[in-house]
Amino acid sequence: MAYAHILKVLHRRLRQTATQLCVQKCYVVHTHRALCTAPAFVRLGTKISSLDCLTASQRHQVASVHCTARNRSSPEDRGKSVSRYQSGTPKPSAAQKVKDAGRDFTYLIVVLIGLGVTGGLLYVVFQELFSSSSPNKVYSRAFDIVKSHPEVIGAFGEPIKCYGETTRRGRRQQVSHVEYMKDGLKHMRLKFYIEGSEPGLKGTVHSESKENAETGKYEFRYLFVDVDTYPRRSIIVEDNR
Amino acid sequence: MEEYAREPCPWRIVDDCGGAFTMGAIGGGVFQAVKGFRNSPAGVGHRLRGSVNAVRVRAPQIGGSFAVWGGLFSTIDCGLVRLRGKEDPWNSITSGALTGAILAARSGPLTMMGSAMMGGILLALIEGFGILLTRYTAQQFQNPLPFTEDPSQLPPKDGEQQQQKTKGLFH
Repeated sequence: MAYAHILKVLHRRLRQTATQLCVQKCYVVHTHRALCTAPAFVRLGTKISSLDCLTASQRHQVASVHCTARNRSSPEDRGKSVSRYQSGTPKPSAAQKVKDAGRDFTYLIVVLIGLGVTGGLLYVVFQELFSSSSPNKVYSRAFDIVKSHPEVIGAFGEPIKCYGETTRRGRRQQVSHVEYMKDGLKHMRLKFYIEGSEPGLKGTVHSESKENAETGKYEFRYLFVDVDTYPRRSIIVEDNR
Repeated sequence: MEEYAREPCPWRIVDDCGGAFTMGAIGGGVFQAVKGFRNSPAGVGHRLRGSVNAVRVRAPQIGGSFAVWGGLFSTIDCGLVRLRGKEDPWNSITSGALTGAILAARSGPLTMMGSAMMGGILLALIEGFGILLTRYTAQQFQNPLPFTEDPSQLPPKDGEQQQQKTKGLFH
């Protein structure tokens, strides 16, 4: 299909310069297309390489075409060449038009479905990253509060890092959370893990946040850290119950 | 539940690089097999030989470019995790954008930006898909309203016990 496109571009360009070159150019391009496609690697390669091949061949042949064109051009030839390469396909019949319309319609449906799916996924991502009521935002805020609490820093040592649940591939982005309704307001419970510079010491942060009726943002009801030592110890960072 | 006794991060790079190579090699192998089959002269012998030849030549190259993409993405991701100190979807999207930009570095700044945008949007789509998947599969296993009270673990009871104690004092 690339070659058909290239051919069309070449045709358009040539018609502007001189119509007598048209016939010669087509012959030249046909021969060079054969040359270019002979090695399988060029074909399997990118369009750019084949374009380079063609443009290089085109440049080479322009000189020779100029020489030979003047001998072969004559009014009937010119007319024939123009009619052969300019009129294109004959006028499409009604059945052909219906088929074309049907095909275009199915393509349009496919494009719309694709756009819909893409838009949906992007909306989910934006909501997750930018909406202040998404678990990720609550996780960020909880981590910021926990990170700067002096007792936590004393227990774990700076710098403190946090992560969520481990998936199969080893990525730990998902944070375990539960959302539920209570007294007509949305509550969210969150659980993530923190580690500090203290070797081997892990902690679990539990938080519950309640949606504020006026502002719609989540406020923390409680926030505490379970330190994974023996005996287990909990650091209560916030308790707004 | 600790499934990995060690940190995933530096080893995740090798993991991702290898996984990407396998994906690229297998996918590219299938594609090139069909392509080589179709672009060979007529005759099953010729076609099969053409197909095998195309796979032999091109599949490792495709696998290699996928592996470079995957390895670079994972490296930048781990680097961002270490830098920021937390693991976020933001890390993935930024890593995808930076990977796209770096791999297009030979074509100038404008192409780099376009490639970065493409990489970022691709990763955003993958993240969105992952988020949807985990949300819906988690909802299947979730019992409706597992707890209506504050957790009965020890830590919050400390707060409640303290409150009760203070209440008791004023009885």
